[in-house]
Amino acid sequence: MDHDNILVLDSIGKKFGDIVALENVDLSIRRGEVHVVCGENGAGKSTLMNILVGIHSADGGKIFFNGKETKIRDPLAAGAMGIGMVHQHFTLVPSMSVAENLFLGHHLLRFGIFSDHRTMVERADILIDTYSFALDPEAIVSSLSVGQRQRVEILKALVFDAELLILDEPTAVLTPPEVEELLKVITNLRDRGRTVLFITHKLREVKAVSDRVTILRRGKNISTHITKTVTENDIARDMVGRDVFLTGRQGQDHGMRTFGESVLQLENVSITNSSGRLLLDNIDLDVRAGEVLGVAGVDGNGQTELAEAIAGLIPIQAGAIRLDGTDITHVSVAGRQEVGLGFVPEDRLDRGLSSNMSVAENMAATNYLREGILRRGFVDKDQLTEFTQKGIEQFDIRGAKPDLAVASLSGGNMQKVVLAREFAREPKALLVSQPTRGLDIGASEFVYSEILSAADKGNGILLISSELSEIFALADRIAVIYSGCIMQVLTREDADEETIGILMNGGKEHAA
Amino acid sequence: MMSAELKGSLNALIAPIGAIVLTMLLGFILVAAISDEPVLAYRELMFANFDSLSNFAMFLNRATPLVLISVGITFAFRAGVFNVGGEGQLFAGAITTTVVGIAFATLPAMILFPFAVISGIAAGAAVGWVPGILKVKLGVDEVVVTLMLNTIVLLFTSYLVNQVIRDTTAYGAVSWELPEHIWLPSIPGIPDATSGFMIAVVLSLASWVVLFRTQWGAEVRSSGTNLRYAEAVGIAAGKRVITAMLIAGGFAGFAGSLYVLGIGHRFEQNFSPEYGLIALTCALLARVNPIASLFTALYYALMLNGAAYMQISTEVPRSLVILLTGLLVLLMTARLARKDTNTQTFDAF
Repeated sequence: MDHDNILVLDSIGKKFGDIVALENVDLSIRRGEVHVVCGENGAGKSTLMNILVGIHSADGGKIFFNGKETKIRDPLAAGAMGIGMVHQHFTLVPSMSVAENLFLGHHLLRFGIFSDHRTMVERADILIDTYSFALDPEAIVSSLSVGQRQRVEILKALVFDAELLILDEPTAVLTPPEVEELLKVITNLRDRGRTVLFITHKLREVKAVSDRVTILRRGKNISTHITKTVTENDIARDMVGRDVFLTGRQGQDHGMRTFGESVLQLENVSITNSSGRLLLDNIDLDVRAGEVLGVAGVDGNGQTELAEAIAGLIPIQAGAIRLDGTDITHVSVAGRQEVGLGFVPEDRLDRGLSSNMSVAENMAATNYLREGILRRGFVDKDQLTEFTQKGIEQFDIRGAKPDLAVASLSGGNMQKVVLAREFAREPKALLVSQPTRGLDIGASEFVYSEILSAADKGNGILLISSELSEIFALADRIAVIYSGCIMQVLTREDADEETIGILMNGGKEHAA
Repeated sequence: MMSAELKGSLNALIAPIGAIVLTMLLGFILVAAISDEPVLAYRELMFANFDSLSNFAMFLNRATPLVLISVGITFAFRAGVFNVGGEGQLFAGAITTTVVGIAFATLPAMILFPFAVISGIAAGAAVGWVPGILKVKLGVDEVVVTLMLNTIVLLFTSYLVNQVIRDTTAYGAVSWELPEHIWLPSIPGIPDATSGFMIAVVLSLASWVVLFRTQWGAEVRSSGTNLRYAEAVGIAAGKRVITAMLIAGGFAGFAGSLYVLGIGHRFEQNFSPEYGLIALTCALLARVNPIASLFTALYYALMLNGAAYMQISTEVPRSLVILLTGLLVLLMTARLARKDTNTQTFDAF
């Protein structure tokens, strides 16, 4: 056994009932490296990590830590050995301060009874300084941003000197700038001699931060590479098991594509909030039939308001919205759907779905009349099942049954339920907001191809996304939104990432 | 083939029955500890309701308002409104029907009966409407509003029954009797059992169909489970929530109306052993399913009346029932929590 390895897993296996979650997984982590484990949702990443920190126990195989074979009974034992884990969902007490959270359950005591508040704050301060985390040890956790809370989680693992730090999909909850910060933190941790095991399915992060990468697929270790020697495409292929096309329209001959009449028009649309601040400032947009118009921008620059205004969920104070020639400025949400608007909201669990209701009811919500699901005023259960089954097959919604609660599906399959519902109406204009947020590569690829084929069928699509790669893959024209204004609209030929990036940061005045 | 919702109804039944059986077993240990005749006490508690036709009639009479209110509460809960105002809505319905019945006593039954019933329903619905509209338009917490309204309505009925329509020949806060020609007939074959019970059974079945087999029902449930989703798919969610509260209030008002027409034949200020709150428990134990609510309401009626028989025959105090029902709620919630943990483990994998 190579003594340079801090952790070695030897043919780890784990079953849940009849389902094989892990099968003969070998993995070796070198001391002082950043090692990424990636794989699609359900590939077994989380199960593997839960075994490492003692939440689950393996059915077979051996674990060597620092060269010695060990059994990890529970998370406390893992912590004592020097394995710390930062879970995707935070385990902090919101009403306590940063320092109190760090020493939760291990409070430093004075006279053996009283909490030694001052020493804890001092120790926390030293730790924060060491890793330059820019946190106030006495700040109350509930007042911190998501990114800051995550740093507290990381500190919690470090406070007891974790040699090996496991981060379970830490970027899923972060905004892009926070992701950048986190990646810096990880590099810093490595520079200070910690070993980091980092779980993600985002290829960009793999390339940005890791020394080596291990790919899991369906519970098996497919490959381990030195990150520098592989491309994002290689990793994606190993993850999905076949070539993946996330390139969309890139590389296609744009000249071949022609667009029809405009189907969705915004004219001078402005929105002010109750305190009088302009959220959208004189927006002009025009989506033609067969075209994907991408709206790029850093989150929080008016995208949410733009989508909700078009969907009819918030009123606009000035301007007009037209759908297929009809003025829909004052039409209700249902009325807009009637005219031909489809809406895929940015957060599927917020506006997109009712997760406690069944797949069938979520998919049918806007389609009862159109699909003949009602008979004499009552829901025809057979028709409903048939309609849902059709959607499940067409959109390849895995694990879905009509009567199953949506909550039991994975994120990608939930998103497919939303798409199935909205596409079933064959809307003339489709408003798609952050369609692949939180989705793995396979599901993203599917969503891309559905959006593009809808465009090919002559639908006009307004794509709002903060992922630039997504905009470039799908959009025929790119509008950049900054602080509620459309900075400029460029065709994809004229656009490059740098120009768009500058515009996204408001680096240019309104274009002529 | 059995549909999933129907299976859901059956499953919703299995859960409370299991908890009820366990409660009764634990309760028996308690009774055995304090009484020399535990078997007799338990027999009285559970079966005295069926000893005579008149006992059985009183059992059905006890159940009727519980069924109606808890089915109504089901609509409110499904729409996401935690309606604690069943008691106030019940009293509003009962007093309105009484006032109308007494004030227009000379009208023929054909006119007066529907008039009295509909005004009772309308009064209950109006009391339900207030928290509904306040929640939707102004975001006011419905629990506070419904609780406050309970007090307001009860004090108001107390004023009316003491100062305006008090039967001066009788003892206590009771109104004049309603004219006999609008009394609700008994169930054929069971003297003194109000036919309102049959109406309650029909309404509980119909409510299931409305909630789970119509687009309107799906829209109400969508609004209740995720209001922002409901808005995004074009449902007039606020309207659905308010309508659901009108129905919840209407059901409770109807319960009050049927009580005075079929059971009390007059308004008594103390006619309710907190029907509103008990019905709330029934609806929750039935996991907000109208058909299962019918059965949980029957169980509570059985306990309430059985406790009286038990106290008469043995020295076991009737307050034992409060303990038993508390135990039942505990067992039901414990079961639900355990189920939730299971789901989480599954999701995590």
